[in-house]
Amino acid sequence: MLLSFAQWIQATGFFTALRGSAYAYPIVLSMHMLGIAFFGGMVLMTDLRLLGFAMREHSISDVLDQFRVPKRWGLLLVVTCGILMAGSKAEEYYYNTFFRAKLILLAAVVLHELVFYRGVYADPAALDQAPGTPGTVKTAAALSLLLWASIACCGRGIGYIEPPLDKIHARVHSLKEATLAALCGPSVQKGQELRCCSFNPMR
Amino acid sequence: MLLIQSNAIADALNSSEWVFPIAECFHIAAFAWSIGLIALVDFRLIGIGMKRESASEIARATAPWTLLGLAVVLLSGPVLFLSDTRMYLGNPSFRFKMYALLIAIIFNYTIHRKVALSNSSPAGVQVLVGVVSLLLWVSVVFGGLFIAFA
Repeated sequence: MLLSFAQWIQATGFFTALRGSAYAYPIVLSMHMLGIAFFGGMVLMTDLRLLGFAMREHSISDVLDQFRVPKRWGLLLVVTCGILMAGSKAEEYYYNTFFRAKLILLAAVVLHELVFYRGVYADPAALDQAPGTPGTVKTAAALSLLLWASIACCGRGIGYIEPPLDKIHARVHSLKEATLAALCGPSVQKGQELRCCSFNPMR
Repeated sequence: MLLIQSNAIADALNSSEWVFPIAECFHIAAFAWSIGLIALVDFRLIGIGMKRESASEIARATAPWTLLGLAVVLLSGPVLFLSDTRMYLGNPSFRFKMYALLIAIIFNYTIHRKVALSNSSPAGVQVLVGVVSLLLWVSVVFGGLFIAFA
């Protein structure tokens, strides 16, 4: 079901045009990178502050509160560009191990947010009052750094894998032919156009 | 002679399929790190974000981390370059990126630094310096990305 969704989305006019354009794709990728720099830079400074390595002369609430809104804009840019790229090569990415790993790590980020939001990020003023930075806060910051760094590396990894779509399509085709032949007998000719796999992705 | 040497280095780098991807991961993580931090100062100069701190405070707080990021970028970059010198030298995007990078670094540690650290510069100058800095680093990133598409 996921696979057919991936095939459908990348076959839409918008994503077909995006994939075919010589400039749109690299420009979206560059914007994705800039978003990573902007968003990542703020994640880094926030986490370093929580760990007590940077901006120590500024209170935790000062740093967290001021980064909150710009960080959301940065994330919005990164995610928008990411969806544009993923949509235009959805079927290929479906098979891409690094892409799958990246999605799992992004789910882990959501989990991280659910676990730590209340205690760490929601009320930074309380952290200023605490005598030392609590262990939970440092754990949250360290995990955040680790997660985002892994996501960046997986993102880079996506580009190194090119799943052999032609071979996969041929294999699916021959499997369907074999099944049909077994079911309907020799009346189905080999190589006959089958409606069920008439999908032909533009590469 | 230079070509022979660079080929020997390239062979060493290409002998493992992991050298290039790992160097590239460091390169990307570190450029995001350093350019992101520079952007914080730029946006403050322009007048967006972190209004509670002055530009000089942000510049001072981020400077050591920016330098660390740039150091990693400038160490991992040549590893990528040396894996295929001939391709990179013939690549127009690569040459554009190198010029942009050179200008961006010089600008960052001269005019940008001076204006960011002195809180007395006219507002117009601050905005101009922030915009120029952002444009320079955006050019570097775009140039880098387009190496693969040129």
